[in-house]
Amino acid sequence: MTNILKRAKENLRTIRTAGKLGWAMESNWTDPFLFAIYSIVRPLASSLILVVMYYVVTRGKTGMDLFAYIYVGNAFFMYVINVLFGVSWVIHEDRDHYQMIRYIYISPIRMYYYLFGRGIAKMVLTTVAVIITMAFGMLVLKIPVNLLAINYPLLLFSVAAGIFIITCLGILLAGVSMVTAHHSYALTEGMAGLFYLACGAIYPIDILPVWLQYLSKALPLTYWLELVRRSILGKSLSPTLSGYSDFQLILIMAATTLILALFSHWVYRSIEYIARKYGKIDQLTSY
Amino acid sequence: MNLAVETFDLNRTFKLKKAKNKGENGNNNGKLIALENANIKIHQGELFGLLGPNGAGKTTLIKILATLLLPTSGTGLVDGIDVVKYPEKVRKKINMVSGGEHCGYGILTVRETLWMFSQFYGIATKVAHRRIDELLKILKMEEFAKTKIGKLSTGLRQKLNFMRGFVCDPKIMFLDEPTLGLDVQIARDVRIYIRTWMKENPERTVLLTTHYMAEADELCDRVAIIDKGRVLVCDSPQNLKKSLAGEAVFYIEIPLSVNGMEKFGQIPGVKQFAYEHKSHLGRTELKFILEEESAISNVTESLSGNGSKIISLSKMEPSLEDVFVALVGRGLKNEN
Amino acid sequence: MKIDLKTNIKAIIARSYVRIVAANREPSWWFTETLLPILSTAAYVYVYKALNAPEEYTGFVILGGTMSAYWIHVLWSMAAQFYWEKEIGNLELYMIAPISRMSILLGMASGGMFLATTRAVFIFLVGSLIFKVDFAIISLPKLFAVFVLTLVGLYGLGMLFSSLFMLYGREAWHGVTLLQEPVHLMSGFFFPVRNLGFAVALGASLIPMTLGLDAMRQLAFKTGAKSGFISADVEIAALVGLCVLFLVVSKYALEYMEKLGKKEGRLTLRWQ
Repeated sequence: MTNILKRAKENLRTIRTAGKLGWAMESNWTDPFLFAIYSIVRPLASSLILVVMYYVVTRGKTGMDLFAYIYVGNAFFMYVINVLFGVSWVIHEDRDHYQMIRYIYISPIRMYYYLFGRGIAKMVLTTVAVIITMAFGMLVLKIPVNLLAINYPLLLFSVAAGIFIITCLGILLAGVSMVTAHHSYALTEGMAGLFYLACGAIYPIDILPVWLQYLSKALPLTYWLELVRRSILGKSLSPTLSGYSDFQLILIMAATTLILALFSHWVYRSIEYIARKYGKIDQLTSY
Repeated sequence: MNLAVETFDLNRTFKLKKAKNKGENGNNNGKLIALENANIKIHQGELFGLLGPNGAGKTTLIKILATLLLPTSGTGLVDGIDVVKYPEKVRKKINMVSGGEHCGYGILTVRETLWMFSQFYGIATKVAHRRIDELLKILKMEEFAKTKIGKLSTGLRQKLNFMRGFVCDPKIMFLDEPTLGLDVQIARDVRIYIRTWMKENPERTVLLTTHYMAEADELCDRVAIIDKGRVLVCDSPQNLKKSLAGEAVFYIEIPLSVNGMEKFGQIPGVKQFAYEHKSHLGRTELKFILEEESAISNVTESLSGNGSKIISLSKMEPSLEDVFVALVGRGLKNEN
Repeated sequence: MKIDLKTNIKAIIARSYVRIVAANREPSWWFTETLLPILSTAAYVYVYKALNAPEEYTGFVILGGTMSAYWIHVLWSMAAQFYWEKEIGNLELYMIAPISRMSILLGMASGGMFLATTRAVFIFLVGSLIFKVDFAIISLPKLFAVFVLTLVGLYGLGMLFSSLFMLYGREAWHGVTLLQEPVHLMSGFFFPVRNLGFAVALGASLIPMTLGLDAMRQLAFKTGAKSGFISADVEIAALVGLCVLFLVVSKYALEYMEKLGKKEGRLTLRWQ
């Protein structure tokens, strides 16, 4: 018992230290005002692309359910892009840029906690960005969200689960980054693109070809986004997913997340072994 | 004789965000004086050493001469060309190697990296490869020619950086602590190569900065000692050492004694004093430069009076380090 | 000062060699640069499908996704590159070499353009085939001219960014991140820029991609001209102006920033 407590304390310390480091890296490059603008402009721009696409086709009928579906899904998908990047990019950043990976790697901390800790800053910033984007949607674009009708417990649970799922994915990509070069950012960006395409972030998965829907159903992020939307909008637009109750969705998400977590662990450990074998842990790869 | 490098009252100050140190070379105006009225003349064909502790201004001077940094005031000429006004012309004559640094892209091989940098100097590919072969051979790197530089050890990467500087065959080479962090054998290879390279062509000039006094003693035709941005003296190592001929240099070892060292500098007859703690040996090494040899009795008396047992006492021939101590009033290792 | 053309050409070739040969040395590059980028583009296609948008919008998105390969490349491998070079210690070696800094940037651009083209071609071909894009090319020479001008202007802009970011540490990194999405929005990567309104579209036209994409859509799709911002011919003329502007301004900006960096001692300042 004492050992477990001791280990938990050590892991918490790792998360805290890595979190502080991540925050310093995220925020210390400019003054707070510019930082605030920066944190707002980017997510809003990404949402506005979809808003304009929607306007172009529908000529401004924003009251439709599909608009809210797209907007909410896209807002919360920011977690995928940012946290995935925040966790997986650490390997490249610490290795090629700051050239500190060797010292972190040989320290007696657990890398998973370190990677998670480094991603915390992104998680916090993304949460702020999501809130701003949602507020913009409700106030300016009149997204039909009733604040009193939101299922907050489900929303909080979903967000926490989502962060866990994305961290698992981030760890998987961090593993791959150990043996890839400077272009590993493209890998993260590409994987985020895959989830954007397959997880029903901005359209119901039913629109996808059947073979791609199989992939959608295998990914926990699909269920996560559905749960988030249900908690905020109170309904589902996907014929495939609307057949499941909230509890069933949670169960499916838990099962797929477990498989993902085990797979990520296996990939990370295997590639870490290969990286050590071929001396790639602290390689310099820039070009 | 033609001058390869000439500086006139070269100054460089850096603005500091917060002036934490109010030491001699920092002041409370938020500025750090890195170089102060530096005047040096380096002749063509000369291997010139710039000696000084960390933060003395050596790298600042090299950066100015290598066109990487503008002086706050003063003039620097490289091969007679003003480094501020005509940096493009200067760059055709020079190259620079900074010790402890790496170059290139981890994903290229050693040969490819050297070739790439040679192209920035317009060297024909055939000539470049011939030079690369020579360098690889002389610096014992042949077996690594096709190795990606990301896979090289730290020492080998530094060696590669060294080769990178020489593959372009500059007229004037700036070597900033080229043997920093290298093991004894690699450092020796590097020193031998520098000498060989100089001998091949009498027009070649090297400005070498180092804080290894023995290295400067072994390699340099002339040296300048620089401290806190000021050039204190400039002459050949022999002449500098001769300047201490009338003085006596003594090394004394006492049991490790951390406190109250400064008072030994006040002993009558002591011109300069420096010390170094060797904790692993449980000893403190004292160096005394005396006005005359007889003053050693004052020293031993003072040490006995202080309760310090003398473990060993020896009289030494003056070295460049002693010259530094005599000029600066402290050794390189007790900089504060 | 007389420019040593031969040396500068050698420098361009050498720097582009790094990009072309080295990137291809990493097998994973093919996966990340060809297969993955098509996915997010496809997502935008499905948005239009979910909205029952007219068929040509699929083509608009594929073209936007194709050109996005260049924009992302200009941001990450051009604009931010001098910052990276500074961090890994190469920038000072470029600075002391007797070559124009523009040669280094041109080397990066030409090498990188090869990589970005691989990515773009893949998105274009696979996207067009999978989603059965119906092209109706009005004038191939004009279309080609627009494409080339867009790239020249865009890389000119990248060079300008490079010089600005040369002195900065993490600001450069975040600056690049900040530009990516807003430019995707303002330049109309996934919809005709006219929909943003005349004033916004005019402002966004300072980015060569805005006019380039609009002109290409007008020249490559049946209904493209109908949704165009201004006529393709005017856009071509404006692109020529932007190309000259950015190449000239970037040259002076580069010289100015280098001088500033040397004055402030920030040219070799790392790990900010």
